[in-house]
Amino acid sequence: MTTYNSFKLEDNTITHTRLLDAPRELVWEVWTNPEHLKAWWGPNGFSITTNSMTVEPGQFWDFVMHGMGRDWDNKIEYVEVQKPSLLSYKHTGERSEDYNFTVTVLLEEVEGKTLLTMKSVFKSRAIIDELNEKVNAIEGGKQTLNRMEEYVQLMVDKH
Amino acid sequence: MAQTRDIFQAIADPTRRQIIGMLAQQSLNVNAIAKEFDITRQAVSLHVQFLNDCGLIIIRQQGRERYCVAQLEKLNEVTNWVDQYRKHWDTQFDSLEHYLANIQNK
Repeated sequence: MTTYNSFKLEDNTITHTRLLDAPRELVWEVWTNPEHLKAWWGPNGFSITTNSMTVEPGQFWDFVMHGMGRDWDNKIEYVEVQKPSLLSYKHTGERSEDYNFTVTVLLEEVEGKTLLTMKSVFKSRAIIDELNEKVNAIEGGKQTLNRMEEYVQLMVDKH
Repeated sequence: MAQTRDIFQAIADPTRRQIIGMLAQQSLNVNAIAKEFDITRQAVSLHVQFLNDCGLIIIRQQGRERYCVAQLEKLNEVTNWVDQYRKHWDTQFDSLEHYLANIQNK
């Protein structure tokens, strides 16, 4: 079963897979219903509030994540919606458009379970390298500590 | 589902981040750390244990005192963005798996 759980970085794409012991319809529901999402989405210790959610191409999931002592506004735009097998959405942020990325979630039925494949596609490999470089540029314990929170927040911002 | 303590969980908590910050300046024993917080010494001790479990600090016995020493090299684990992203989603999928198991058992 562990062979179904994988991670890889290729060119401008980051791919995760995970085999979930649940029917595909339920997994779809859990990704597209705010009542379910609030139960599992977000880093440990965070909670979320959905302002609005319309799971249709060109429509949005507008939500706020609460954690680390403040609120984080999030908005994702649905690009493709094919119930119950494919969901893709775009992350946009206050940063340059270059940092936007699109996530595609594929759900396939495998041995009575659901194989989830999540592809995060960035504008270019250069963007991923840049993100890594920015983070790696910080050296030394004290500097790392000072900047650590910022980078944790970057991660949180992205999701 | 294996629940391991990793550095990402360690730094997700503000109290633990503050403890790391204090220990980065100087090694301290648990009492000295606890003085800086409004929470109980026991709670601080649990945070210290957590940091110890994930290798961010080591606890050194010096006579009767147990000193906490920061191991900041460990923080390098969080200095790669892709790695952060991977870990973040590993945790998210664990959480999703757990939730799916819960709702199906009802």
